[in-house]
Amino acid sequence: MQDTMGIILTESDDVTLRELTEVRSRAALPVAGRYRLIDFVLSGMVNSGIINVGVATKNKYSSLMDHLGAGSPWDLQREHYGLFMLPPYASHEKYAAMAGEIDVLMGIMPYLRRSRQKYVVLSTGNTICNITFDEALREHKTKGADITVIYREENTPGDGERLILETDDVGRITDLSHGPLRRTGLLAGMDMYIMEKELLIRICEAAYARGEHSFVMDALVRNAHTMRMYGWEYKGYAGRVDSVASYFACNMEILREDVQTALFRQEDEIFTKVKHLAPTRYGDGAEITNCLIADGCNIEGSAENCIIFRGVKLGKHAQLRNCIIMEKTHIDTGCEAENVIFDKECLMREGKRLMGQPNYPIIIRKGAVI
Amino acid sequence: MRNTKCLAMVLAGGQGSRLGALTKHIAKPAVPFGGKYRIIDFVLSNCTHSGIHTVGVLTQYQPLDLNTYIGSGQPWDLDRSGGGVYILPPYMKSGEGEWYKGTANAIYQNMGFIERFNPRYVLVLSGDHIYKMHYGKMLQMHVSTGAAATIAVIRVPINDASRFGIMNTDENGFITEFEEKPQKPKNDLASMGVYLFDWQVLKKYLILDEGNPDSKNDFGKNVIPQMLAAGERLHAYHFDGYWKDVGTAKSLWEANMDLVRTPPRFDLYDPDWTIFSRSAAQPPHYIAPNARISESIVTEGCRIYGRVHGSVLFRGVTVGRGARIVNSIVFPGAHIEAEAVVENAIIGTEAVVRRGAVIKSTDGDNVCVIGDGETRDAGSDFLQSAAIGGI
Repeated sequence: MQDTMGIILTESDDVTLRELTEVRSRAALPVAGRYRLIDFVLSGMVNSGIINVGVATKNKYSSLMDHLGAGSPWDLQREHYGLFMLPPYASHEKYAAMAGEIDVLMGIMPYLRRSRQKYVVLSTGNTICNITFDEALREHKTKGADITVIYREENTPGDGERLILETDDVGRITDLSHGPLRRTGLLAGMDMYIMEKELLIRICEAAYARGEHSFVMDALVRNAHTMRMYGWEYKGYAGRVDSVASYFACNMEILREDVQTALFRQEDEIFTKVKHLAPTRYGDGAEITNCLIADGCNIEGSAENCIIFRGVKLGKHAQLRNCIIMEKTHIDTGCEAENVIFDKECLMREGKRLMGQPNYPIIIRKGAVI
Repeated sequence: MRNTKCLAMVLAGGQGSRLGALTKHIAKPAVPFGGKYRIIDFVLSNCTHSGIHTVGVLTQYQPLDLNTYIGSGQPWDLDRSGGGVYILPPYMKSGEGEWYKGTANAIYQNMGFIERFNPRYVLVLSGDHIYKMHYGKMLQMHVSTGAAATIAVIRVPINDASRFGIMNTDENGFITEFEEKPQKPKNDLASMGVYLFDWQVLKKYLILDEGNPDSKNDFGKNVIPQMLAAGERLHAYHFDGYWKDVGTAKSLWEANMDLVRTPPRFDLYDPDWTIFSRSAAQPPHYIAPNARISESIVTEGCRIYGRVHGSVLFRGVTVGRGARIVNSIVFPGAHIEAEAVVENAIIGTEAVVRRGAVIKSTDGDNVCVIGDGETRDAGSDFLQSAAIGGI
């Protein structure tokens, strides 16, 4: 797919992720013990042979820049093309002041025009999955589609707003709408699209000229009947993160072996930033059951159904159940926590207790001291 | 010509025959260590932390893995313009060319490489020792004593002294006597295989040594005694941290066990002295329900369903249900199937211990070694290590 470029539009105005996106964009959310959300779609692009990827951001992009660096973990540190961080004001401040994806895309227009690839894979990077785009692009070409919308049949209704597809028996989209999944079996867009770069430019310019901002509502839904749009079904595992509940549920799902296999034990790897941390050390009091644990931790206490990120310290007699503990958080001796999401670098002092509920986990803000 | 004040040459060509099955396909410095490292990481990380940015790595035996591993030197920050890490295998010169005959000959054959950087000092290091050392401090002492060479020394138990190069020093720390692997050691001051030379002096003795047909072209056996005999001033630099020569399966096992003790004898977690290594992104390790794990170190990509105690597990190891691993080292990608028992053992890279098999050393002095890629079935239980040579 040398003739295809990737664009990742990161979202940063989330209120549904509460404190978790206070300091970072959604794409930079830490997930699955050592990854950030963007790693999955970015790896998917790289695994499809894409060598030109632009990551467009609006604000709160420092953690994303820190994570992506020059792109070497994804093999995107290249002389020709490679990874491009596209912060706002990249071309013109008049686009950056505004809100929607159309404005962001208008802001990166010089980069789009400069790139010589014919096709674009456009995504937001908010889904945990192991995907490649080769087959979707092949179908896009053979069907002569204007836009291919990558979707998945969803069997769990939810409150998160999704692009919902209606297709005919050859996969052509007959209608598009945007809203929550009210029943099972709906075809829900994964925020991944394939089209010719020139078409993307035309759509954006047309929408911008009409004062429109939303790529989904204005460029897609509005054009559903006038453009040749096709759906391409992704059949693998996908975990979409669009709320605290779904963030929590997706992480807990990764404790399932079939999900780990679907994500991490495939021919295509998920790449992420490599840090030089020593292996995790378990003390003589460690009691661990059903946990995913990254490197550099020091585990002396007990944990059940937890996702533990790099460099976490878990003190003696501490007890964690159903928790997500992000990088460098320290849980002291004798602490107890259940259904808690600890952001990075938190400190829970000796003997403290925190109890959330599975459908309403407590979030401990980055750097907080309990 | 560039000027590099101090250049390091790492001797990494040794076969490591005393590691038996573990070095059948790789050189000793490439042998895995400590969960996610290879032995050579420690000396390369020492160089980085000591501000030495020009490092030659002399390879000879089974160099493919080692060369691939070191690559551009990027994980150690040794991909530097005007310096960095250089892999130096033996090569053909006009009309001649030969293997490295000994440690001194290996440096002799690369004099041209060293001269290119025009260094004042040359540090000669072994690629197969586990320690954390700031060579800058040693260099400071070397400069202030005005010695021609400084040799790092460490006190060892007198009973082990005959395995090392042993030194006697005068009250000012100058070396009066150097004996390589003496049968009756007179002292417990052992050479750590860390030599710092004034390059011009070393060059002279390398040329002298090369001209001597009876020489084994070895630093400990020939060059150092020759320098002493000629009246050069050699100084000892005392090191009191952790240092381990991991030349045998037993010592490799012991050094790994030093990491899992409470508290560990060797600290991998010092934020000011990170041990760098090349590693690919693997998912975090998974500890299943009913697994038990204590006093162990585990790294990415492992899946643990059984019991692990006092052990070191490398990348991508699986431990099946009901399996038991005690006081053992399991190299990358090895599979310990359900109900298997591994005790006091080293399991090689991608080896397989089949369901119900028992790998166990009954003799406290030995460890069992299963070579890279080997498979052990149940019934062919492996209870003694006597069958393995060179332990």
